[in-house]
Amino acid sequence: MANIDQPFLSALAGAAAAGGRYGRHSTWPGVVVSEIREAGLAVVTARKGHRGDLIAAVRSGFGVDLPATPRRVVGEEIAFVWVGPDQWLAAQHPAPKDGMEARLAPLVGLAALVDQSHGRTLLALTGPRVRDALAKGVPIDLHPRAFRPGDAASTLIAHIPVHLWQVDDRPSYEFAIARSLAQSFWQWLMAAAAEWGVQFADG
Amino acid sequence: MSDQTSSSHRPKPPQFSRAGQSALVEARGQIDSGPARRRQSNRLPTGGLIERAQTLTFTFDGQLYAGHPGDTLASAMLANGVHLVGRSFKYHRPRGILTAGPEEPNALVELREGARREPNTRATTAELYDGLIAASQNRWPSLRCDLMAINSLFAPIMSAGFYYKTFMWPAAFWEKVYEPMIRRAAGLGRAAGDADPDTYEKANLHCDVLVIGGGAAGLMAALAAGRTGLRVVLCEQDFRLGGRLIADNRVLNDRSSADWVAQMAAELAALPDVRILLRSTVFGVYDHGTYAALERVNDHVAVPPEYEPRQRLWRIHARRCVLAAGAIERPLVFGDNDRPGVMLAGAVRTYLNRYAVAPGRRAVVFSTSDETAATVSDLARAGIAIAAVIDARGTVPPGIEVAARVAGARLIAGGAIVRALGRARVRAVAVRTATGATEQIGCDLVCVCGGWTPSIHLASHLGGRPVWNDRLAAFIPAGLPDGMAVAGAANGQLALADALAAGAAVGLEAAHQCGASGQPAEVPATDGESTVNTALWRVRSARGKAFVDLQNDVTDEDVALAGHEGFRAVEHLKRYTTLGMATDQGKTSNITGLALMAEFTAKPIAQTGSTTFRPPFTPVAIGALAGSHRGKEFRPSRLPPSHSWACQRGAHFVEAGQWLRAQFFPQPGETDWLSSHNREVRTVRSRVGLCDVSTLGKIDVQGADAAEFLDRVYTSSWKALAIGKARYGLMLREDGMVLDDGTIARLAAGRYVVTTTTANAAKVLAHMELCAQWLWPELDVQLSSVTDTWAQFALAGPLARHVLSKVVDGQHAISDAAFPYLAAGQLTVMGGLPARLFRISYSGELAYEIAVPAGYGETVWRHMMESGREFGIEPYGTEALGSMRIEKGHVAGNEINGQTTARDLGLGRMLSGAKDFVGRAMAQRPGLMAADRPRLVGLKPVNRQDRLRAGAHFIRADAKPSGREDEGYMTSVAFSPTLDHWVGLGLLVRGPERHGERVHACDPVRGGNVAVEVCHPVFYDPAGERLRG
Repeated sequence: MANIDQPFLSALAGAAAAGGRYGRHSTWPGVVVSEIREAGLAVVTARKGHRGDLIAAVRSGFGVDLPATPRRVVGEEIAFVWVGPDQWLAAQHPAPKDGMEARLAPLVGLAALVDQSHGRTLLALTGPRVRDALAKGVPIDLHPRAFRPGDAASTLIAHIPVHLWQVDDRPSYEFAIARSLAQSFWQWLMAAAAEWGVQFADG
Repeated sequence: MSDQTSSSHRPKPPQFSRAGQSALVEARGQIDSGPARRRQSNRLPTGGLIERAQTLTFTFDGQLYAGHPGDTLASAMLANGVHLVGRSFKYHRPRGILTAGPEEPNALVELREGARREPNTRATTAELYDGLIAASQNRWPSLRCDLMAINSLFAPIMSAGFYYKTFMWPAAFWEKVYEPMIRRAAGLGRAAGDADPDTYEKANLHCDVLVIGGGAAGLMAALAAGRTGLRVVLCEQDFRLGGRLIADNRVLNDRSSADWVAQMAAELAALPDVRILLRSTVFGVYDHGTYAALERVNDHVAVPPEYEPRQRLWRIHARRCVLAAGAIERPLVFGDNDRPGVMLAGAVRTYLNRYAVAPGRRAVVFSTSDETAATVSDLARAGIAIAAVIDARGTVPPGIEVAARVAGARLIAGGAIVRALGRARVRAVAVRTATGATEQIGCDLVCVCGGWTPSIHLASHLGGRPVWNDRLAAFIPAGLPDGMAVAGAANGQLALADALAAGAAVGLEAAHQCGASGQPAEVPATDGESTVNTALWRVRSARGKAFVDLQNDVTDEDVALAGHEGFRAVEHLKRYTTLGMATDQGKTSNITGLALMAEFTAKPIAQTGSTTFRPPFTPVAIGALAGSHRGKEFRPSRLPPSHSWACQRGAHFVEAGQWLRAQFFPQPGETDWLSSHNREVRTVRSRVGLCDVSTLGKIDVQGADAAEFLDRVYTSSWKALAIGKARYGLMLREDGMVLDDGTIARLAAGRYVVTTTTANAAKVLAHMELCAQWLWPELDVQLSSVTDTWAQFALAGPLARHVLSKVVDGQHAISDAAFPYLAAGQLTVMGGLPARLFRISYSGELAYEIAVPAGYGETVWRHMMESGREFGIEPYGTEALGSMRIEKGHVAGNEINGQTTARDLGLGRMLSGAKDFVGRAMAQRPGLMAADRPRLVGLKPVNRQDRLRAGAHFIRADAKPSGREDEGYMTSVAFSPTLDHWVGLGLLVRGPERHGERVHACDPVRGGNVAVEVCHPVFYDPAGERLRG
């Protein structure tokens, strides 16, 4: 059998170099990007008529109440992001050893579980000009009075569908992008943030 | 003031194009040695908001001039005594500078050179920078000697509708001869022709209150709203705040209006949530509080700094909006009123006060407004001789009398200019006095004022119809967009005190509506003024051409002619005369045109109505609307997992929807796609090939009712499908046409994974979601796209199992018995990586599709290529994939084209009679069941050397080719290296009954009819033996 130490390739391989600087060179880059590598992701969709049971099971199994609006809640080592009616994106980093569907086993029968760990590229964005850069693509309002840590949204950036949520008020954001579109997203981000300089700090 | 800008002016060494640079270097010697600097002969010795310490050089038509930061191109040209700027659109008459703002109809120039050349740039808004290069347009061979001015001699017959009436016959000549000829003679500047080297971008901005306009009303509104702590955005199209406050010489709270503006600007800049966007024109209003603004980020430098865009398109989302766009002064209509040197009085005051430029030495003022007093005072203070002050009104207010007396100017009450004399520059005016006598008065500047027109454009973008106000002789906004209020001159509040008070009140009201509270802002005290005006729409019995619309060369006689010829509706007037249809959209002419139309049709203006206002308020470059979405970034590209490997391998790529797929993989010595394709097909048919099919849509279907759901959306039955099995499925639209096809595999009880075609993935998921959420909400079924989640590779060819056995972990049996055709299973590969294996075949060979989590995709792909090397494995692209499916008679997007039924495609047997499904009833409509529908057949050339072409239409062999005889068309063709001739699929009337018949495949567009033989669509291995075993 082949030796497969590093089989999981980033969708940004070849586009973004670890420690790379992009756009205008400055001592303090306006935007700092890192990829959250090998996170565990799964879409959790409530089975017909089991929403209440599912919410209870998540509360007892993971110590958190599933949100009913675009929010991200953090439970015991796992976070849930509302992505649609009766639908959440579960995220855990680093990924659980046996995979997300096993991790979410307490929810079997109450929800459809679909592992998406390889389906999305997760990027963390921060830096003093991150809001200005995001304004060039994100059509929703990220002003601190309108969008706070824990808020989430599904939207389009440069025709690319994304899920995004705010992690803290530095501010830091995380983006989940379909893997096949990660390089197009990267190109948009580099164009948007170039005037302030970008640092890619590999995650 | 640059510290308030969103993108401040960054001094940068000027960069010129090579040609421009040499001209500048050569001419700069003159500047440094003195004479050129002194050439700013019309620059006033003091005053103005310009930086005299710094000199900027620029060229106009190759001549070098000097100006200062703070100048526009127009003010710098006037400072150098340049009045002749361009030639008019139709008659090629010499034209100068009429205004000092974005409403300018005449002073259009080509700015910059080479790929950066921009035609029709208004010199009145182009901010001067060092090294600016401008050229006049619409003249040949030169501005002073324009041969096309011969058009003027024919002017008497070139009235409205002239082209339509004259160039009628013969009809074919219009397109080939007349129109190109007219276009060469008329028209404005030239587009660059080369790709724009600069970048543009789009951005979103959210605020509570958007204030449009940074003049008196806008500043007060922004301050009132900003002080409440709300998020306020103030957009000013100019590069400096203030509007008329920096153009006029006013006193506010005992200080100059320019000082007051500076103080306001500082206070606004200090408010944390107030954002001032200079050089930013709000050009469109859209639903739900959305506004479009164009920020000219770097139009004021020769070349944008690296990493910065030239322009930025803002999409502004505002809860409330205060429109404080001000007003536009109206010219007066008299004979030859287009002569350079005839300028709006307000613009003359702007050049005097803001730019310290004297636009002439001896002025005549012709007005219908009390504001004349200010014009006269400003002219006198600048030391300009005033030859006469002509007020068209019989009774002149004391203010004007006093101003004229102080200035030592002759006052002519009840008089009018009947004609301006001079060509390239006005040299005198013919004046008719109140007694009817006519006399000539020498002058080089005519200041005209016919009152002011509120800038109501944005208030009407959503369809609001403005209402006529007799006192103002103007339309004022009505039927405002939701959330918008209007303040100041835009609302007819022309007096400064009124505008300031209205701005403060409306700004605070907008803040209140956003839920904020605040105290009314103190309104500064102003010096006295009168804005009374009596409209004079035209000077009667004027001599020469009296222009209404200067940019489109429309005269009062053209409007009269339109009236005579029966055009009554203003929209018809506009289109017949082209009044208001030039790049300035009639900002200085529309009202006058409407008023004349009302006069000629003997109707009140209020009944004549106004034309429609549409975005953009001022022209917007297409580049700004595209933003960064140009070239390869026009839309995002989806990259399959093997993409970087394919790049390294030198693959050619093809766009399939958003996906970039490998089309073929050329090898050394292969010179065209066909040879690569032939090799790839032969490899799969004889050995083994690998193809990335990750782009096919994949949908995870779960739930207790998943099988029932699939039964309803697909035409065949799924309840009997065993776990570990896959099958081909067909899906219809509600109307009975085929929607898509794919495979359905059952992974577990209550869990399926279905595939779609690459192109239809999103459409199929949307269709299935509609069915699940809306048609049958009672079913327990959950859908999830897993297209990106799994890399999926087709391993095809007689040696496929040999390769597979080296990839799949040993404990999994993959022999034909253990894993037969249409088996599906979950297993591990490469020592523990999870995978899904499907034994399905698109090529007709022994084949598998292996799916692994996408992040492992490239690793597994490389491993499979390595493992297959001893068996002669090669990658194959979409060309080979497509040819093999045609050899096998499989339908794809060319056949599933939205107009074909399952029966048309030879798939009628897949329509289950034992259950209902979407599209079943409609598929049985008589028309869709008709015997003479075109149906799927195979086609091969009678002469095997002939090439087939998709799109060729079928005509019976004994019929003469014509549309009447059309019996269908060729949908797909391929060269079959297996059969060594071209093969095709097509839809032919009664096709399945006609196997063996010869028809003509007619292709008149590409030339050539090919005799083809109708045959069964499966060309290769019709028994399907190769995919088993």
